[in-house]
Amino acid sequence: MSRPTMEQYVSKVAKPQDFDEFWGGVLEQAARVPLNPETRYSALRSDPGVEVYEVFYDSIDDVRIAGWYCAPRERSGKLPAILTLPGYQGEPGIPKEWARKGYAALSVAPRGKLRSNAQFNPGYPGLLTHNITDRNTYSYRGFYVDAWRGIDYLLTRDEVDGERIGVTGGSQGGGLTVTTSAMRQEVRAAIAGAPYLCGYVDSIELTRTYPYEEINDYLRLHPGSREAVVETLAYFDGINFADKIRCPFVIYIGLQDNVCPPETGYALFRAVGSADKKLYAADGHGHDAGKHSIEAELDAFFDTHLKGATV
Amino acid sequence: MSEGRPADFEGYWRDALDELACFPPSVETEAIPLRSNDSSSLFGLRFTSSGPYRLFAYLGIPTGEGPFPAIYKAPGYSSVVSPIPQGAASQIRSRYVTFSIAARGLRNADKPYAAEFPGLLTDGIEDPRAYRFRGIAADCVRGLEILRSRPEVDGSRVSVQGGDLALITAALADGATHLVCGPSLFYRTMEMARSGDGYPLAEITDYLRQRPGAAEAVESTLSHFDLRWFAPRVSASTLLEAGPAGSALDRSGLQSLIDALPNPPDVYESQRSNYKDGMFVETWVSDKLGCGEPILPEHWR
Repeated sequence: MSRPTMEQYVSKVAKPQDFDEFWGGVLEQAARVPLNPETRYSALRSDPGVEVYEVFYDSIDDVRIAGWYCAPRERSGKLPAILTLPGYQGEPGIPKEWARKGYAALSVAPRGKLRSNAQFNPGYPGLLTHNITDRNTYSYRGFYVDAWRGIDYLLTRDEVDGERIGVTGGSQGGGLTVTTSAMRQEVRAAIAGAPYLCGYVDSIELTRTYPYEEINDYLRLHPGSREAVVETLAYFDGINFADKIRCPFVIYIGLQDNVCPPETGYALFRAVGSADKKLYAADGHGHDAGKHSIEAELDAFFDTHLKGATV
Repeated sequence: MSEGRPADFEGYWRDALDELACFPPSVETEAIPLRSNDSSSLFGLRFTSSGPYRLFAYLGIPTGEGPFPAIYKAPGYSSVVSPIPQGAASQIRSRYVTFSIAARGLRNADKPYAAEFPGLLTDGIEDPRAYRFRGIAADCVRGLEILRSRPEVDGSRVSVQGGDLALITAALADGATHLVCGPSLFYRTMEMARSGDGYPLAEITDYLRQRPGAAEAVESTLSHFDLRWFAPRVSASTLLEAGPAGSALDRSGLQSLIDALPNPPDVYESQRSNYKDGMFVETWVSDKLGCGEPILPEHWR
């Protein structure tokens, strides 16, 4: 597909009539679950510049969520904060690099990741199609909420300035950045790299690579479920969340991305509701999305929106 | 060149392989219809490695008359093991027998032992015989033995691919005809850990911050895993994936490994692009295995 054709790609996803009602119900359910945060200092992972903590909190469906929380040892006053969200296969890292840049940082392991899989563990491959014919039990229903509640955790921290919270991640973390920014208005700036979970049904036609190929595998074995699958995924598609995003928002994509088709990145960008939005499209790059060449710009973006607003 | 090579290196690994040989693989094979299609079938294998420890692997078999060239994927530093790597064209399963192994501690092989990330890299690190990667290396050898035992596999075209464990496997096991290796963990490890601050190597500096007195023991253990000492055993045609120019593991940084390989390897320096790097590797493998044009994902064509 040529670049102009990619840029004009129109997603096939339709927004369900009851999209807001559905997610409103989920949020109501989540609001009834106390966070019960627990923060344990990790002497092993802390170093002279950064305090590291193991974090746990409750989410819906009685699932206990884990994370890593870091803060710079040297600080004066409240800190801006970054929520980092993980990719599909990898384990969430310890976000020391953000702390070294002067942020409090939380890296969340949503349900099914290693330290959050005691109650829910569909496996990899598997997560993407777990209960995919039922929006009320689909894996990402809870998974999204787990990420969103990372904001609630940050708000419990005395050292965090709740008015200066940013969100970022790549791949699945990019998709979660979209939904988190849309559903949590506390987010003041966000950067989504090579966003996954945006244009699911488009992607299974545009590429035949895993993880999206999990859906094609499922449909091959269960051809009669296609309508139900498409219906479910519409509730979880980042493109359908994007119009709710009001904060400054950056998306970066690779035009040769073999995992998350760039066409869906363009469709997502058009759907983002924020007036302050920017897209970096890197030619010659795959799922790395050219991040290496724009790291200074990305850092400056957060510095402007999260540090520039120093009270 | 051999400065730093443990005096007991050969004996250490001979013992590990002897221990492995004590346990028959006792392979169980189960079809996975969900991930099978007209052009290939996927199976889940369970088998035994040293310990004894029960492991898991995905085995993909192309439809049609074999034997087929094979791609053996050594585990990376991650809990997840996939039938084929994320982002690879799923159609490669119609050309190659594919084998990806979950070594001890990884998902599907995480009972009774579940590896932690971070944590695995320093698990048992003060004792070479207790270091978790000793067993993991044996697991990788067992996996390649099982792959090569399959009648569908063309034994003259077996490509072992991955990170450090790919080279260790090709060195310790028979039958790797081609090797694609991107060193990251077990090459001048202490030096790399001390000069950087990123995970997973930062696990070692974390560990030594807590136990500074263990530095000598840690260094001794890691010296048994340095790729430079395995390299002379590698007979496979080799592609080394180096880091980007200017990085610690660029071509010049890997020179002592390059020099230690008995056959001059091809060396590719990363262009910091999954696309360009991936294209090079796919093309190299396809060409070296005599398969003609590579099978590429849609957005690379």
